[in-house]
Amino acid sequence: MDWQVVLNNSSLLARGLTTSLELTLFAIAASLPVGCLLAIGRLSKQRWLSLFCASFVNVMRSNPLVLVLFWLIFLVPLIIGHRVPNLAAVSVAFVVFFSVYFSEIVRSGIQSVGRMQISAGLSTGLTRGQTMRHIVLPQAVRAMLPALTTQCIVVFQGSTVAYVVGYDELLHSSSMIAERTGRPVELYIATAAIYFLVSLAGSLLARRFETKRSRA
Amino acid sequence: MTAPIIQVRDVVLRYGDFTALDRVSLDVFEGEVIVVCGPSGSGKSTLLRCLNGLETFQEGEVIVDGENVATCRNLPALRRRIGMVFQHFELYPHMTVLQNLTLAPIKAQGLPRAEAERLAMDYLTRVGIADQAGKYPGLLSGGQQQRAAIARALTLQPRLMLFDEPTSALDPEMIFEVLQVMKNLAVLGMTMVVVTHEMGFAQEVADRVVFMDRGAVIETAPSAEFFASPKTPRARAFLKRILRIG
Repeated sequence: MDWQVVLNNSSLLARGLTTSLELTLFAIAASLPVGCLLAIGRLSKQRWLSLFCASFVNVMRSNPLVLVLFWLIFLVPLIIGHRVPNLAAVSVAFVVFFSVYFSEIVRSGIQSVGRMQISAGLSTGLTRGQTMRHIVLPQAVRAMLPALTTQCIVVFQGSTVAYVVGYDELLHSSSMIAERTGRPVELYIATAAIYFLVSLAGSLLARRFETKRSRA
Repeated sequence: MTAPIIQVRDVVLRYGDFTALDRVSLDVFEGEVIVVCGPSGSGKSTLLRCLNGLETFQEGEVIVDGENVATCRNLPALRRRIGMVFQHFELYPHMTVLQNLTLAPIKAQGLPRAEAERLAMDYLTRVGIADQAGKYPGLLSGGQQQRAAIARALTLQPRLMLFDEPTSALDPEMIFEVLQVMKNLAVLGMTMVVVTHEMGFAQEVADRVVFMDRGAVIETAPSAEFFASPKTPRARAFLKRILRIG
């Protein structure tokens, strides 16, 4: 083993990690709001709207992320007549794919708040909006936090899929270094360690939320 | 006597094929205490929820404090005049007891915080749990939680109070303290509609008893009369069953 090769290329790895984190942050920031809309749509009393959102969620959940990306790279160009830029393909795939998982978390969070809590709010003369804002959502967010944090870790790990289109995230960087230096074992161990550490930080954060919640 | 504060006329409420309320009519006068009893699933709670517009019914009309509930343009304003207490308290677990009481006065009534807190503390004192104001509901006993819920409804200074099985979720030793609070309210002249299986409370406090079965009002009678000689066989059978258990 020669760990020097990892140290020598640490700045490239760091750049890869930064790109991975940027991708992750973008994916979360874009798919969480979309997920909220999907969840609200699914809980809506409008039949067609909840049916549409439910179908979308179920179709997307049954596909692997790589396949969604392949659609955008290979199928969509056939339809629209020109190729989709890599960054756009990755972004759209991430938002479409992860918003579905976020929507399920948000939906179960809202549903975890008892319906009679809404009755209680309304019975004191609060409007529907005020009841949602002051009574339902604060409780829903508390219930969602652990699952949301876990899902964010999954997004981070899922960001490796950008590798497929040659996007310079962490895994792609390290595989290029591995090829160039002929030292795949050291580099993939180091890469695994980096993923492990970031994910560990995430789960520790999730656990903090969980203990906080059980204390309240 | 003046016009009733609650007028329910031939209300029909269906969930699909199931008829939850079947031509229900009821008048309640100011200052009256009405106990609604009957087997579970007989529509008692549904009737109560029609009175403040939490349920929508298909036929008939409900007029509360001079306003038609079904066509009311400003339900929140009407609901502020109708306090409601639930079986499982429904305190907001993420707020302290005091915040539970002041939320609606501040947000719905527009009272200044200090004024709302003064009112809230006043009612918490009346139900005997002023010392719990800063705690989260989860730390209170069931009886204390229900008293806090009653205080929350009272803080809006309602013209009438609805109780939906207020003691059904309580351990036996806590039922007494909640009933005591309700009796005090009745003595002070509050108009109350109480869905309950507490026949002792009905006998002692209620002016009239309404007996419901399968969505219909089977019998309405002054309390003493209802317990001494129920007119319908169904009410007789119900009383026999419940008094043997109770």
